[in-house]
Amino acid sequence: MGAACDEVALMSGPLDIALCTTQGQDVPGPIVPDAAPAPARGSIAIDNLSVIFGQPDKEFLAVDRVSFGIKPGEFVCIVGPSGCGKSTILNAVAGFEAPTEGMVTLDGAAITKPGADRGMVFQQPGLFPWKSVRANVAHGPRMAGRSDREAYRLADQYLEMVGLARFASNYPKTLSGGMQQRVAIARALVNRPSVLLMDEPFGALDAQTRAMMQETLLRIWADIRATVIFVTHDIDEAIFLGDRILVMSASPGRIILDIPVTLGRPRSADISLDQAFLSIKKSCLDIIRHESLLAFERQT
Amino acid sequence: MAARARENRAGIYRLLRVISIPLFFGAWELVSRSGVVNEFLFPPPSVIAQALFDWGMHGQLVLDIAMSVSRVVVGYIIGATAGVAVGIATARYPALSSLLTPVFQILRPIPPIALVPIVILWLGLNEPGKYFLILWAVFFTVWISAHLGVQRVDPLLIRAAQALGTPEHRMLRELLLPGALPYIFVGLRTSLSVAFYTLVAAELAGAFAGVAYRIDIAHENLRIGLMMAGLVVLGVISACLDLAFEGWARHAMKWR
Repeated sequence: MGAACDEVALMSGPLDIALCTTQGQDVPGPIVPDAAPAPARGSIAIDNLSVIFGQPDKEFLAVDRVSFGIKPGEFVCIVGPSGCGKSTILNAVAGFEAPTEGMVTLDGAAITKPGADRGMVFQQPGLFPWKSVRANVAHGPRMAGRSDREAYRLADQYLEMVGLARFASNYPKTLSGGMQQRVAIARALVNRPSVLLMDEPFGALDAQTRAMMQETLLRIWADIRATVIFVTHDIDEAIFLGDRILVMSASPGRIILDIPVTLGRPRSADISLDQAFLSIKKSCLDIIRHESLLAFERQT
Repeated sequence: MAARARENRAGIYRLLRVISIPLFFGAWELVSRSGVVNEFLFPPPSVIAQALFDWGMHGQLVLDIAMSVSRVVVGYIIGATAGVAVGIATARYPALSSLLTPVFQILRPIPPIALVPIVILWLGLNEPGKYFLILWAVFFTVWISAHLGVQRVDPLLIRAAQALGTPEHRMLRELLLPGALPYIFVGLRTSLSVAFYTLVAAELAGAFAGVAYRIDIAHENLRIGLMMAGLVVLGVISACLDLAFEGWARHAMKWR
């Protein structure tokens, strides 16, 4: 990670240097002391899921009979062209979108509405602008009925984890996009969700910040071991992060490839030159090209 | 060099700001006493100051201000509270909005001043009539700003709050109200000046004390200095309230 990290550190100041040095060879113990190791919860089953948008006379099939399961603690990336319905699947797991057909279950229970057991990180940070960074992170624990004091203690602990403890009393607007997204991750994780849902969370960031955020995310995930569903259109990002990649077709969205990522962990930035990395990337690109050709032929 | 020049210019601007009001009154005094205009109809500031002093000495000034301010405050607080409450309700419950919005849209454009005669018939020349006129004027502006403000809370923030486990009954305080605040403040501030217009109309139509009432009485007695002193008092009260309001708004929305 040396070169890439130094570059980012130079660009974004002492805070990110601190983040970089917490990684590396001598990996410290869990940063969040009471984080549970390898949870038994967080198992997701998506069974024959279809989602149709719009009125009966003008329907749009966004997701077409998708089925897959995710093991507790697994990091699954969904890639596909824009508009393929990958966010719709994520929203169905989050409880924002009701299935038109099929079932989505978390640890055996059907998902009917949003809840704190499924942390959500969007492409935009979505921080509450009228709350300080600390109050943003403390929001979840407060809603869960913890005392303000306890909620703020937890918030500080998770801000420490994402390296933003110094900015706890700032308002979100004073933070850069990457820092805001780190607050959003801390805010989702402070609820100790069994599942973390991420909808192109680094899509709006510049390349250096994005690389930085990917490594930070892996480091945090190594501690919390929640199930992660990570939606992206960036295949490199998906391979770098995931245990497994689901490739979706263009609309209507179906899963056309389910491929395990056979790379060890912890991973560093130069893994993208690894032979295994390249062969996974080739498989993904081949099937995406094949799919695009089919779609192209259907149009003409 | 450039910094020096900028500093000099900033100093000049500061000086201009300080002499702005004295210069205005000085010019007025000169023009009024020069004979170019009729000094009786356009009295100089010194005459107005004398009238203001007499008004204060005879004890009516404090009573007039107290009456006017109390009318604005009571009418404004009732109207603004109702406006915010109803605005939130119509934004959150589409059925209520469908029921009320058409009626409100008919009533809202009626200038409150036009209601003065009928309100005098209904409620007489007493205080409740004046409260009613002012709350009527304030209500619709605040209602529509609260309604729009709640509706325009970023849907992403609503989803974020839901995903963080915010229960439905806490959404209002945690999310909708602070999210709508910038809109609500615009409505509250606009309606503060509307409240003053309406106050003047209500007092001119009939009252037993009040700043605009005093202007009317001075008019009947052709005491032009007192009339203008009344205008000054109205301006100062209104500006003070607006300034206080701005300070409060800045404090409440320092996150922006």
